[in-house]
Amino acid sequence: MSRYFTNLSFLLFTCLVISQSKPIDLNPKDSVVYEQSYGISVGIDLSRIITSSLDDNYNGFEIVADYRLKPDLYVAAELGNEEKTKQEDLYNFTTSGSYLKVGVNKNNYANWYGEHNLIYLGGRIAFSTFENTLNNYQYFNTNRYWNENDFSNGSDVPENFSGLSATWLEAVFGTKVELFSNLYMGASIRLGLIIAQKEDERFPNLWIPGFNKVTFDSNFGVGYNYSISYFLPLYKKKNKVKKKIEKSETNKEQL
Amino acid sequence: MKRLQIGLLFLIAIIAIASCEKDDICVEGDTPLLVIEFYNVTDTSALKSVPSLRVVGVGQSVTVNTVSDRTSLNTISIPLKTEADETSFILINNSASADDGSETGNVDTINFSYKRLEDFLSRGCGFVVNYDELNADLTTDDTNWIQDIEIINSQVTNADSTHVKIFH
Repeated sequence: MSRYFTNLSFLLFTCLVISQSKPIDLNPKDSVVYEQSYGISVGIDLSRIITSSLDDNYNGFEIVADYRLKPDLYVAAELGNEEKTKQEDLYNFTTSGSYLKVGVNKNNYANWYGEHNLIYLGGRIAFSTFENTLNNYQYFNTNRYWNENDFSNGSDVPENFSGLSATWLEAVFGTKVELFSNLYMGASIRLGLIIAQKEDERFPNLWIPGFNKVTFDSNFGVGYNYSISYFLPLYKKKNKVKKKIEKSETNKEQL
Repeated sequence: MKRLQIGLLFLIAIIAIASCEKDDICVEGDTPLLVIEFYNVTDTSALKSVPSLRVVGVGQSVTVNTVSDRTSLNTISIPLKTEADETSFILINNSASADDGSETGNVDTINFSYKRLEDFLSRGCGFVVNYDELNADLTTDDTNWIQDIEIINSQVTNADSTHVKIFH
């Protein structure tokens, strides 16, 4: 029986030793303060410039900008101008106009010490004003009795529809990587949802600058951009991420 | 990070769905055909077939491709010209060829005049033509087999309803 007592007291003694060792702080706090840069970043979309030079039927550019508001939150905007001529089966049209997108990006990428990269989700409200020109068209007719070889000609005289506009919401998924100091390369894909548009009764909006192709009977559209931008640091501020880590450590101790 | 993955998956899924395009082919409609029904002139509510009917567009050397040639019919659908404001058709009653190849049936000519309305249907279809203010004019001769023409529907936007009644 005494052997049990000996064992028990031994066990309790060990527990005592363990609990006593805890309050001793063997890891003193790191006194080095890591400050992060805040500022504005301005750039251009490369894809639109490259497409402009390769595609005769497209002309466009886009300026991108963002401002770091909080450690993970950026106010972002895109301003652009596009012109696109499209040949469909029986008609040819040109759309040209400008657009502005304003919104926020939320960085979800946990950077290591010294890194300034982003993988973000964002939202935009976008507005575009543009005009359509119907360059030429033929009439669709499955019956070929009167025109055996081709569809009959509607018009070859360009017809202009101006004063058109569209407003849409955009969900953005993108990334931004620091190539060199303060020089960033970015890419994003966008899903747009048209909430309002002004179109002509005779010829609807089939393509909207900044929004891309408008699918018939659907308000959704997709787009993308590849940007290169320069980050201009305005001020530095200590990041609050460290606090979080301390908190999680204290949580562990309580357990 | 998990939220990010879900967001990314969601976005990819939507883009995948959005890129499936149904609008490159035309399914929304067509330039309508003109529907003509033949009625009995003595009993104007009863349909009366035209024996061995042949329909030829004026200016064409072949019969209209939507009407089966030299058959007994009481309803026909024929295409109007989309590039002009009038179209003429030769309607032959009791059509047959003589030994020398000449037509032995009774030949009547109708001229349809109309206003063309362009209608943009969809991205895949583009523009089709609808017709409005339809008028029919029979070229009179000594032996017209067509007694009367009545425009039922002066607006031709589909081939579902009758536009013209011909009494004979």
